[in-house]
Amino acid sequence: MELEEIRVAVLRIEGTNCEDETVKAFRSLGVYAEAVHLKQFYSDMIKDEEQRSLFDFHCIVFPGGFSAGDYVRAGAIFSARVKSVLKRDLEEFIREGYPVLGICNGFQVLAELGALPGFDEDKPLADKPEMALGINESNRFECRPTFLRHENDGKCVFTKKIEKGKIVMFPVAHAEGRVIFPRGREEDYLERLKENDQIVFRYVDERGNYAGYPWNPNGSIYNIAGICNVKGNVFGLMPHPERVFWRYQHPNWLENPESPGDGRAVFESVIEYLRKF
Amino acid sequence: MKAMHRYKKVDVPFELYEIDILNATDDELIAISEDLGLALNLDEMKKIKEYFKKKGRNPYDIELQSIAQAWSEHCCYKSSKCYLREHLFGIEKDYVISAIKEDSGVVEFDEEYAYVVALESHNHPSAIEPYGGAATGIGGILRDVLCMGAQPVALIDPLFFGRLDTPEDRIPKGTKHPLYLLYGVVAGIRDYGNRVGIPTVAGMIFFDDSYLTNCLVNVGCIGIVKKKNVVPSKVGGVGDLFVLAGGATGRDGIHGVTFASAELDESSEEEARGAVQLGNPIMKEPLIHACLEVVEKGLATGMKDLGGGGLSCVIGEMALASGCGAEVWLDKVPLKEEGMAPWEIWISESQERMMLTVKPEHVDEVLYIFQKWDVPATVIGKATADRILRIYYRGYKVYEMEIDFVVKAVEYCRPYVKRKVKAIDETSPPSNYAKVLLEMLGHPNVASKEWVVRQYDHEVRACTAIKPLQGKINREGHGDCAVIKPTDSWRGIAVTADVNPWMTKIDPFWGTASSFDEMVRNLVAVNSIPHSFADCLNFGNPEKPERMGEFVECVKALGWMAKGFGLPCVSGNVSFYNETPYGAVAPTPTLMGIGIVEDIRKAVTSNFKGKGEVVLVGETFKEFGGSLYCAITGQKSTIVPKTSPRRLKKYVNAMLEAFRRFKIYACHDLSEGGLAVALAEMCIGGGIGCSIDLSGLKGEDYVKLFSESNTRWLVEVENAEEFVKFTSEKGVKAYHIGSVEGDELKIKNLLSISVEKLDDAWRNGLIRFTGW
Repeated sequence: MELEEIRVAVLRIEGTNCEDETVKAFRSLGVYAEAVHLKQFYSDMIKDEEQRSLFDFHCIVFPGGFSAGDYVRAGAIFSARVKSVLKRDLEEFIREGYPVLGICNGFQVLAELGALPGFDEDKPLADKPEMALGINESNRFECRPTFLRHENDGKCVFTKKIEKGKIVMFPVAHAEGRVIFPRGREEDYLERLKENDQIVFRYVDERGNYAGYPWNPNGSIYNIAGICNVKGNVFGLMPHPERVFWRYQHPNWLENPESPGDGRAVFESVIEYLRKF
Repeated sequence: MKAMHRYKKVDVPFELYEIDILNATDDELIAISEDLGLALNLDEMKKIKEYFKKKGRNPYDIELQSIAQAWSEHCCYKSSKCYLREHLFGIEKDYVISAIKEDSGVVEFDEEYAYVVALESHNHPSAIEPYGGAATGIGGILRDVLCMGAQPVALIDPLFFGRLDTPEDRIPKGTKHPLYLLYGVVAGIRDYGNRVGIPTVAGMIFFDDSYLTNCLVNVGCIGIVKKKNVVPSKVGGVGDLFVLAGGATGRDGIHGVTFASAELDESSEEEARGAVQLGNPIMKEPLIHACLEVVEKGLATGMKDLGGGGLSCVIGEMALASGCGAEVWLDKVPLKEEGMAPWEIWISESQERMMLTVKPEHVDEVLYIFQKWDVPATVIGKATADRILRIYYRGYKVYEMEIDFVVKAVEYCRPYVKRKVKAIDETSPPSNYAKVLLEMLGHPNVASKEWVVRQYDHEVRACTAIKPLQGKINREGHGDCAVIKPTDSWRGIAVTADVNPWMTKIDPFWGTASSFDEMVRNLVAVNSIPHSFADCLNFGNPEKPERMGEFVECVKALGWMAKGFGLPCVSGNVSFYNETPYGAVAPTPTLMGIGIVEDIRKAVTSNFKGKGEVVLVGETFKEFGGSLYCAITGQKSTIVPKTSPRRLKKYVNAMLEAFRRFKIYACHDLSEGGLAVALAEMCIGGGIGCSIDLSGLKGEDYVKLFSESNTRWLVEVENAEEFVKFTSEKGVKAYHIGSVEGDELKIKNLLSISVEKLDDAWRNGLIRFTGW
C-alpha cells in the first residue's frame, strides 16, 4: 500500500479525549487520519457525507480518555456500544490482519471487548473478557513518566521498528491500569503470553531493572505495560506514545527538541506494516 | 416567610406569584428580600418599587428574582467597579483584542491565532461541598473560554486552605477540616479536568489560618482560537434565534450568585446545599466539540456560557451588549424534573449549558451538529428590536421589563479606611541555619506538591512542553511556569499563578506589588516575555470599610505595577464576602500571568543541570514582613518587600537579553524562603549539589539567605564572569556566588546539607498530612 492510500480512524465517543493528538501523530507521518464518532458507523441521523464503514480504514485506534465517563468500569460502556454495532465488522477486520491499537482507555476497551489477550486467532473477540485493568495500587489517578523495556521478538506490528531490549519513556495517566488475569490462573496466562511472544512492554526503572512503584506505576502483574494478541495486529498499552511523538514533549529534554520522541516508532512501525500489507 | 400576605398566587395553571411591593412598607420590603432569597438591601428594593410604580403594576416572582441575580455582587461587581476602573483598567497594548468587556480576555498570540484568558473564584460552593464546588468551578471556567470560540488548552488552580495541622476541636461548627477540603477540592478538579481532557498545568496551594472557615478555590483557563473565529458574547442581530445547548435545567444551583454575595455562617451548610450545582464532564466534553464545530463553520453569531444567574443573566447581558431586546419561550427549556416554577427555570445555574445566537437559516445545521454529538439543543427565543425582555410560559406572559433597568444595575463607591502599617523589624539570626532551611522545605506552603500535581493529567492534548514537575524522572522539583505549545508553530504560552497572602495580610499594597513582581519573575524564569495577566481578587465583606480599604490598596498596587510595567490586565473576577463570624480571608489578589515563549526550544527549566556556575541576580534587603523565616522562627517584621515597576522592567529586559546571549542551563526565581530555599529547590530537581560562598555580598548572613526581597533570580550559566559583566552594563546587580557540583548544598560557613536530606524534607512536607 502506498503511504497516501493508508487511512486511519481514531474512534471517539463522548469522553474520549486523546483523539486529536493521536490523529496528529499519524498525520505527521504522511498518512490520512481522522477522528470518527462511533455514530458515523451506524446512526441514521448522520448525513451521507459523514457516514463511514470500518472498511474505509486500514487501521483503527481506540484513543485515551474517559469514554462515557468511565463511571462503570473503565472502557466498559464504549466496548458495549462497539459490540452492539460493530462486533462482526471488527472481528473480520482483525481476522484479515488489519492493525488495531488501544492506548490507555483504548487498552481498557480492547480488554473489555475480549480482543486482548486475544489467544484465539479465529475468534479475535473472546466471548467474555479474559483480563482486566484494575484500579492502581496507589488507589488513584496518576500522571507520570514511565520507562518501558521493549520485550517483543517481532510479533507486534506496532513495535517492529523498536529493537528488543530498548528502553523508552512514555508517560502514563490513568487510575485503572493494573493488568490482572483470572485469579489462580495468572501463571498460566503469563506462560501463554510469553510463549506466543505477546508481551510488548514492561515497566522498568531508570537503570532498566524491573522495579516496583513508582516505576511500575499501577502494580501491574509481571510489570506489564502493553501486550498484543496472538496474531500481533491488536496492541494495547497503558502509556501514551502519542504524548512523546516529539522530543520536546519529553520531560527534561535539553537538546534537539525537534528530534523524534520515543513514541514515534509505534506509529512508524504500523505504517511500515501497512505499506507492506 | 415574614411577609406572607404580600404574595398572591396568580390564576394560571402553574406556579406564579405576584409580589405586592407597591403597598409594602420598608420593613416588608426587607422581609420580602429575605423570604425570597434575593439578597437585596432596602435601597435596592426601593429602587425596584419605584420602577414598578411607574409601570403601574406589581412584579411577578420571576421578575424580582431576575433583578436579584443581575444586581448581585457576583454578577455586576457593584462594589468593585468604580475602583477597578479608576486604578486598573485601560492599560493600552495594541496586541490586546478584548480586555475585561467579555467573559474572557482575548489577546493576540501570533498572526493567525489569539489566546483567551479567564480566571474566576468558586469559593463559597467549595466551602460547602468541596468536590462538587471545585468540579463545577472547572466547568464554569472552561465555558468562559469556550464561549469566545476558543479551544481550552490549559487549566490553572490556585487553592487556599486553613492549616492542615489545625486540631479538630479548633474547627468551628459548620466548617470542614482543611484536610477534608483539600482532598475534596483536589479530587473534584481531578475528576472533572481529567475527564474533560484539558490539562491542569499550573496553580498554587497556600495554607493559612485565615482560610479556615473560608477556603478559596480559584480556577483559571487558557484557550486558543483563530482570530477570525472569535465569537462575541452578544446577540448577533435582531431576528437571531437563541439556541440553548447542553445539559437540562434543574433545581441545582438556584441562588448560587446571591449565596456567593453574602457571608457564610454555620447554617450555610444546610441552607445553601441547593446552591451548589452538579457537574457533568461527560456532557461538557462533547459540548466543547460541538460548539467548536459550530464556530469553525461560522454558524454562531454570538455565544455565551450560562454561569451565575443562569438564563436570566445570559440573555439579558447578550441582548444589552448589542442594544436589542428578546422574547423567550420558557416552556421550551428542557428540564431535569417536572413542576419547576418559571422563576426557578429562569435563574437555575445547572451546569454544562451554552447559549448561542444563530441566524434562522442556520438553525437546522446547528441543531444537527449538536445532535451528532448527542448534546441536547433547543431554540428557546429570539432577539427583538426593542430593548425589552419578554418571557412567555405556556402562552402566558410572565415577565416584561426594560433590559437596561435590569442589567445596568447599581454601583457603589463604598467607603473605605486605609490601615496604617507601623514599621517593625525584630528579626535576628537563627541559632541553626540548617535546621531553619529544613523546616522551610518541609512547610506545606513550600513543600512538594507532587501529591496534587500527579493526580491531574497535565499532559493530555500533548501540548505541555515544560511540565509543572521538572527535573530527574521520579525526583522532579517544581518549575516556575508550565509552557504550552498550542499550535503547530514553536511559539509557546507560559503560565503561572501567584500571590503571597502573608504579605498582603500585613500590608495589602506592598503585598500585592510583591505578588505582581513574583508573577513576572516566574514568567521570565522560563524565558518568556510577560504579555498579559488576569486577576481574581478574593476579599472579605465589602460593606466593612476596613475590608474595602484592603481591596482598594490592592487594586492601587496592581494598577501601579501593571501600568508602570506595561502589562495589560485582560480578565478578572472579584469575590467578596469571603468572611464568616470567625473572620475574613487574608486579602488574596490571585494573579495569573501569561508570557509568550518565542521559541519553546529555548525555554529554561529550574533544576540544576550540573554544567555551570551559580549567579544571583538582584539585590537583597532586610525585608522579612510576611516571610517564611518569620513564620518558622516566630520572629516579627512588618517590612514587606518593596519593589518598583521601573526596576522590575529594567531587570526583566536584562534577563531576557541574557537568555539570548548566554548559555543558561537553569533559572529560578527567589520567593518564599529567599535564596536558601531557591538553591535547595534547584538542587532537589537536579539531584545535584552546589557550593556557594556569600562572603562577597553585603549584609547579615540570615538576611542574605532568608530575606524575600523582590526582583531576584538564580541562574546556572556557563560563563559567570561574562554574565555578571553583561548585567552590570545594563545597570543590573548580579553576583557570581558559586558552582553546581557534588551532592550537597554547601553554603560556606553557614550550612552543609546533603541533597538527599533536602529532598526528604521537601518531599514529605505535604504528604505527612495527606498520606501518599
